[in-house]
Amino acid sequence: MIGAYIHIPFCNRICSYCDFSKVFYNKKIVDDYLNELELEIKDSYQEEELNTIYIGGGTPSALDIKQLEKLFKIINTLKISKLKEYTIECNFDSITKEKLDLFKKYKINRISFGLESTINKNLKLLERNLDKDKVKEIINYCHKIGINNINVDLIYALPNETIDDLKKDLDFIKSLDITHISTYSLMIEDHTILNNKKTKNIDENLDREMYELINKELNEYDHYEISNFAKEKKYRSIHNYSYWENKNYYGFGLSSSGYLNNIRYTRTRSLTKYFNHDYMKDNGIEFLNTKDKIYYEIILRLRTKEGINLKEFKNTYHNDLEKYYDYKDLLEKNLLELKDNHLSIPTNLWYISNSIIVELLEGERNERAI
Amino acid sequence: MNKKNIRNFCIIAHIDHGKSTIADRILEMTNAIDKRDIKTQMLDDMAIERERGITIKLNAVQLIYKKENEDYYLNLIDTPGHVDFSYEVSRSIAACEGAILVVDATQGVQAQTLANLYLALDNNLKIIPAINKIDLPSANIDKCIEELTNIGFDEDEIVKVSGKTGEGIEELLDKVITNIPAPEGNEDDPLRALIFDSEYDPYRGIITSVRIVDGKVRVGDIIEMMETHATYEVLGISIDTPKEKKVNELVAGEVGYIYASIKSLDDILVGDTITLEKNKAKEPLPGYKPMKAMVFSGLYPIDPTRFEDLREALDKLKLNDSALSYEPETSKALGFGFRTGFLGLLHMEIVEERIRREFNIDLIATSPSVIYEVVLNDGTIEEVDAPYKMPKPESIKKTREPFVKASIFSPSDYIGDIMKLCQDKRGEFINMDYLDTTRVQIDYKLPLSEMVFDFFDRLKSCTKGYASFDYEIEDYEESNLVKMDILINGEVVDALSVIVYKNFAYNRGKAVVEKLKEVIPRQLFEIPIQAAIGNKIISRSTVKALRKDVLAKCYGGDITRKKKLLEKQKEGKKRMKKIGNVDLPQEAFLSILATGENK
Repeated sequence: MIGAYIHIPFCNRICSYCDFSKVFYNKKIVDDYLNELELEIKDSYQEEELNTIYIGGGTPSALDIKQLEKLFKIINTLKISKLKEYTIECNFDSITKEKLDLFKKYKINRISFGLESTINKNLKLLERNLDKDKVKEIINYCHKIGINNINVDLIYALPNETIDDLKKDLDFIKSLDITHISTYSLMIEDHTILNNKKTKNIDENLDREMYELINKELNEYDHYEISNFAKEKKYRSIHNYSYWENKNYYGFGLSSSGYLNNIRYTRTRSLTKYFNHDYMKDNGIEFLNTKDKIYYEIILRLRTKEGINLKEFKNTYHNDLEKYYDYKDLLEKNLLELKDNHLSIPTNLWYISNSIIVELLEGERNERAI
Repeated sequence: MNKKNIRNFCIIAHIDHGKSTIADRILEMTNAIDKRDIKTQMLDDMAIERERGITIKLNAVQLIYKKENEDYYLNLIDTPGHVDFSYEVSRSIAACEGAILVVDATQGVQAQTLANLYLALDNNLKIIPAINKIDLPSANIDKCIEELTNIGFDEDEIVKVSGKTGEGIEELLDKVITNIPAPEGNEDDPLRALIFDSEYDPYRGIITSVRIVDGKVRVGDIIEMMETHATYEVLGISIDTPKEKKVNELVAGEVGYIYASIKSLDDILVGDTITLEKNKAKEPLPGYKPMKAMVFSGLYPIDPTRFEDLREALDKLKLNDSALSYEPETSKALGFGFRTGFLGLLHMEIVEERIRREFNIDLIATSPSVIYEVVLNDGTIEEVDAPYKMPKPESIKKTREPFVKASIFSPSDYIGDIMKLCQDKRGEFINMDYLDTTRVQIDYKLPLSEMVFDFFDRLKSCTKGYASFDYEIEDYEESNLVKMDILINGEVVDALSVIVYKNFAYNRGKAVVEKLKEVIPRQLFEIPIQAAIGNKIISRSTVKALRKDVLAKCYGGDITRKKKLLEKQKEGKKRMKKIGNVDLPQEAFLSILATGENK
């Protein structure tokens, strides 16, 4: 059983920080896109039973009712009878009760809302809107119709944001009846409005302070991955977690990524190419040998609380991890910890995990030693 | 070849005054090369020379110039202009009877114009003054004429030329023929040939450039080096025209190349005299002096496995750079490397760059040092050319360092700035002369260690590039010197230690520590940085632990993006030197040059 990611690259407005593949909503283009998506899926789906579906964007909720229904019908052609988690991303601007009813009808059981911030100056910078009353109303309605698994995204570390601002955002989010919170420290990517405006990142120390505030405010949650908090363990995102577990998943739609067997692939970001049935990005295919797979195992699993299950590792790769990488020194320096045969980065060091991972990767043993 | 038709001459000038361009025009005039073959500055055959626009190695070319139905053989010897290479200049000068003194029409007489002129006059050379770049709108020819007449030339001796357009070059060549004497020397005397350059050729061994002063040398002769007593059979003789032309002999007055399958570098000393084993000259030619390196620095490969490659690179460079000296040394921080001696800072920079570029070895160079003299309590004197060789403070009675007499030429507007700079550098005022109403020569006595540090850069910046300077080494004098150590994460990094004037130590320590804090990237742990003299900490700072280094989001499952980011980070670390737990970037080893000034 594997997951499937489906990308809907349409938005009613473009947020200043967004580096995802997205275009302005246009009814005709969306209709064409859905037709093409149907073709792509027919072309590449290999009949596996799916356990999770994640519809991301862009803004999937920007589609109108008819288009959404068309999308769900396409998805219904996949083998989804054993689906455990079926998520769609929405924003509060474009979501309506009618659309939520439709989600329910098609058995969607998890919604991920982009809220990002409640502070006016932040919203202005991000070029977003938020109506707090509507947020509460929509979330209540979700519960009313029985969609209880709800995530809210928060962005922090914005230019001019204060600790106080972040505290207010967290207070509001905590007041909502939701099961999952994702928090992202702002990354200013190339090709974004923020980058064009030459926006600068906030001070590293303040960024860290904010991260620590989030940890403190959400300490009753299950902080199972660097950016993700679940109200209880059962509310962890099964789909997203499978990424961190280095598991296979399909990617359908413009700019999506997938991982099947020994191949990681990325779809094109060009709509023109996509509409010409030329789905793959140039150089978008990476073939993985055992070494590459282990590499991914490390960089992905070490983002999680459980880290690398060494027993499972050995079952998969027929060797101990330490045959491939020398991490003794990192354990001695307490940069890694070993608990119940799980190797992980201590939670308090998650915020510098890239450096630790790089240190670990440097400990790669040469082939002859294996 | 009739000896009275030979002219051996060189071109001398201050740096950038256009020698090499004039040489190109002369080559063109004498049809030595096709116009289309001319890369700018034909005589400079190393890529770095062309890029930097300065001449490092000297070259000798024979040109044939027709004048009134006579063929004249002109041996043109190109010389370097920078102060670091004055010994190379003196070698070429010794091989000539005359010199063209080039002065840039936009800049006038500069420090090395005079230094090179005096060197040429000392060698009894006939001088032809030439004002170059007369085609430029900013040329001030009258002022140049005034300056040249002030230093003793007649106005009608001066030739006005443009290396760019070729104007005046013919007149210049005529003056070379009429004014520069033909070489003297007797073909029948025992051979005396001056070695003024050497170069390595992978097929023929070491090739020596020689000027035959007396006698003759033929292919098949057994020659002997008078200083080293090495003997070899001459396998070939060539003349550079500038294409190689093989000949059977060279006779008194001529210039050419000799190769004799010489593999041992130690046998060939530039400045040495070649004679014949069977018919030895009684006296060698005057002028040979072993070259003395003035500035020392430790060179270390960043990748420790490339130590032998570095040795090979230095060996190869040494072949045509006899001023270079090196011996292996070990640093706790940097591993195996070489303590390398240079003529000066520019020489050091050029050698380092050639190692990086021609041999592809990434280097760390430690802070340059001069040779200090340390008098110990028991009266013995030790020479110290590296901070780690400094004896323990309690055993030191006194310390001495070399001083130079520096002559600075500048427009008078900058007198105040120059004097302040020299005072800052512990200078002692000697004299000031007005060259004309707007230009001055200021002489100072200065410690060499201050000169090699950042004097040149600061002089250029405080005079907007208008000042030039030259220096000659004087004597050792007592100075209160101490060794300053830098501790990173509590450990002395020997490669960062430096010998400083005690009164400057506090400020230097502070500047270096601050600079290190700037260039060392934040790491997993907090890193204390300290400057210390003996056990006394004189300055401290801290590189705080890394606060944030995480990729928050993976875009729609696009994991490869995360991989790319981590790979980039990994590559970045590879370029750093791991010392203990700390990754030090290359810049860290340059931080020791920080002064806290000119911010």
